Amino acid sequence: MATDQSGTPVEAGGDSGGIFSGVFTWMENLSEAAYAYLLLIPGFFLLALVAFYPLLDTLRMSFLADETRGADPLGGFVGLENYINVLTGNTRLGRQVIDVALTSNFPFVELGTPFFRQALFVTLAFALLSVFFETLIGFGQALVLDQEFRGRRWVRVAIIIPWAIPIVIQGMLFFLLFQPTVGFGSDFMQAIGVFGSDPLASSRDSFIIVLVADIWKTSAFMALLILAGLQSVDRSLYDVAKVSGATPWQRFKYITFPIVLPALLVAMLFRTMDAMRVYGIIESTAGCSTVPSMTCLVIDGLFGGTRIYGTAAAVAFLTAGIIGIFITFYIIKFRDAEGGFM
Amino acid sequence: MVDTDLQRRRSKTGVSRRRFVQAAGATGIAVGLAGCAGGDGDGTVVISADEEMVSAEDEIIAALREAGLDNDVEVEIEAEDFETDSRRQSYSSGLDAGRSSPDLFMMDSGWTIPFIVREQLTNLEDTLSSDVRSRIDNEYLEAAVETAQDPETGDLYGVPIFPDYPVMQYRKDLVEDAGYNPDSDDWATEPISWMEFSEIIADVHSENEDDIDYGFTTQAAAYEGLACCTFNETMSSFGGAFFGGRENLFGPIGDRPVTVNEEPVIDAIRMMLAFMRDDDEEAADGYEQIAPTSIVQWTEEDARGPFTAGNAISHRNWPYSVVINGAEDEMGEDLGTMPLPYGVPESESEYDDLGGSRAALGGWHLTLNPNSDNFEDAVQVLEAFTGDEVMLAIFEHVGNLPPIPELMDDVGEDDVGPIGRYIDTLQVAADSAIARPVTDIWPSQAQQVYQEVHDAYTQEKTPTEAMDDLQESLEDSDQP
Repeated sequence: MATDQSGTPVEAGGDSGGIFSGVFTWMENLSEAAYAYLLLIPGFFLLALVAFYPLLDTLRMSFLADETRGADPLGGFVGLENYINVLTGNTRLGRQVIDVALTSNFPFVELGTPFFRQALFVTLAFALLSVFFETLIGFGQALVLDQEFRGRRWVRVAIIIPWAIPIVIQGMLFFLLFQPTVGFGSDFMQAIGVFGSDPLASSRDSFIIVLVADIWKTSAFMALLILAGLQSVDRSLYDVAKVSGATPWQRFKYITFPIVLPALLVAMLFRTMDAMRVYGIIESTAGCSTVPSMTCLVIDGLFGGTRIYGTAAAVAFLTAGIIGIFITFYIIKFRDAEGGFM
Repeated sequence: MVDTDLQRRRSKTGVSRRRFVQAAGATGIAVGLAGCAGGDGDGTVVISADEEMVSAEDEIIAALREAGLDNDVEVEIEAEDFETDSRRQSYSSGLDAGRSSPDLFMMDSGWTIPFIVREQLTNLEDTLSSDVRSRIDNEYLEAAVETAQDPETGDLYGVPIFPDYPVMQYRKDLVEDAGYNPDSDDWATEPISWMEFSEIIADVHSENEDDIDYGFTTQAAAYEGLACCTFNETMSSFGGAFFGGRENLFGPIGDRPVTVNEEPVIDAIRMMLAFMRDDDEEAADGYEQIAPTSIVQWTEEDARGPFTAGNAISHRNWPYSVVINGAEDEMGEDLGTMPLPYGVPESESEYDDLGGSRAALGGWHLTLNPNSDNFEDAVQVLEAFTGDEVMLAIFEHVGNLPPIPELMDDVGEDDVGPIGRYIDTLQVAADSAIARPVTDIWPSQAQQVYQEVHDAYTQEKTPTEAMDDLQESLEDSDQP
């Protein structure tokens, strides 16, 4: 009885013209599922055009040689040479992606250039640290916002304001904060011994500044996503737990956390992808020379004055590959969580 | 049961699939076509320049008309980021994309040649009229024209709007109060040594310690300006060079020596260290501490701020800042200028025409977008820019020197405003200009230069270590 009847085959729309009537008839006789896929085709096409085609084109470009002169920006096919050059530091880029050598003594690897001057390490450290702290702080904010109290609405607004500030404005804020004639930041941080004398000129100090700026901005984003997960927890579960004598920590561990975990993982996934592509906050605060990220190197190769498109494409595709690895990791965890994390 | 509900719901709404697809398709096509129907340019010639030029837009356009530009050619000047690196980036992406607007670009003489070599600009050899062409050849400053030509063929690709040379600015009133005589000692035209300069500034600073924070402000951030200009001129004033002297500035890539680890270059770095810190063992002896360590975070505007606000005694910057600082409501006549000090006299320099007071050759050219929709009009505007009236208007209102040095001979304060008081210093700077070694790979080499020099300034490496590393990386990169 429950057959998929998609209405009467030939409807009163017989005014559609002779050429198309056959197509329309076929379309109306499709099942619900098939019709849904048909309507999704323009969306998939757009996605392919905007997302997949550039990705594949970048891959193609990364296999071609750089051309710094002449009208054609790319030379002949060179295979994996660009990738090898990028990983061994043999490019015209200002900073290196990675510069380690193996030694026989512990810890068995030696850094050629300082840790915070290697783009791969800067990007990975930034992604891991920023997601970790943002999740922690965001979770805390979400737990607070989950309670009922007067003025909750205003607290929500106050928390979301950093997220609403444009990246360049925020970068300017932190830049001025650490200029000696304008802001108090460098004196204060020097007094407590954390920074040196010119934080915006030092790679390590500027990394910390950029990290703090990003955490300040994006904890709100994490807080809101986690809050959505928290609000879906059935309150009666807590009542049952209280009656059973569970401590607050046990309530969190056995009720809140497992139910929130899917939303939490989605939020962390989004943030990791964004953090791996960090560029705007770096450029408007300390500059790409002081804190090199992978995207910084790509921009450098494309618009840095010396035209090295092949190298830039190789770095870009490497970044995409690393992001892909992170996503795979998260999706595998997600699949486990769906099956019941208790 | 669920299917029946679905059926009932669907027949209630009554939109058939056919109708839906028709409606969606029609909307989509309409929206798509609306995007395609963009208008052409309205015929205005758009010049992309900076905020300084835009503030003088009316005067410049009036001068263009006086120089013979047709009244029906509309001109508009738009502002891009003031910092040279950002302008280069945005023009690079615009030209890569084949954009038709803006029609004319104001390009830094330090990175015009890479655009020429990538065949992204219009060849002006046959585009400009012959009398304009010969005027440029015969009367314009030769060093400036060289940076607008193809290094191999010598074809002209840009019209120099102005050459630019930095000068040392100082608070004349404070210096005179401390007992010095800048006017009778001819400071405006006779360069002094860096050692003497640091002693004078330290002396004046000690008399004004309560009101004034900084003795000397300059630019030492890790950016293009450090490699092309600030460090280039300091190094040249000690007799040092990147690639073994002036004849190797524009090539041949791969066939020229790299000379950055020589003694004069290291001396220049040691002097800057001494200016910033008095306790660094790598710092040179004999120089006083006159600059704050924060100069390693400063570009042009960051360094100018304190000086214009009256919080510094001396300042190294391009002439645009002389116009700002010399204005009546800023320092007025309390501003003095002098040529940049020298490290060693010219006679002691190993390379020809180096040593002595050196000023980095900056300057900007006007180039023509090959994808422009208003080609003929843009060429007209370009030719009008070679008129005397336009050069003097730019000099008066923006502070940028004319590319024909002789024009400044009879000009005084009445003709061009406050900057007219400082023309003699500017003439000295013009004679001592040193260009940067611009080639298609210079932008990436410049990055290596400013990163290593900046590391030496911030004490991440010793000067010798930094220059040895730079020697290695420049030798690696100097391949065609």
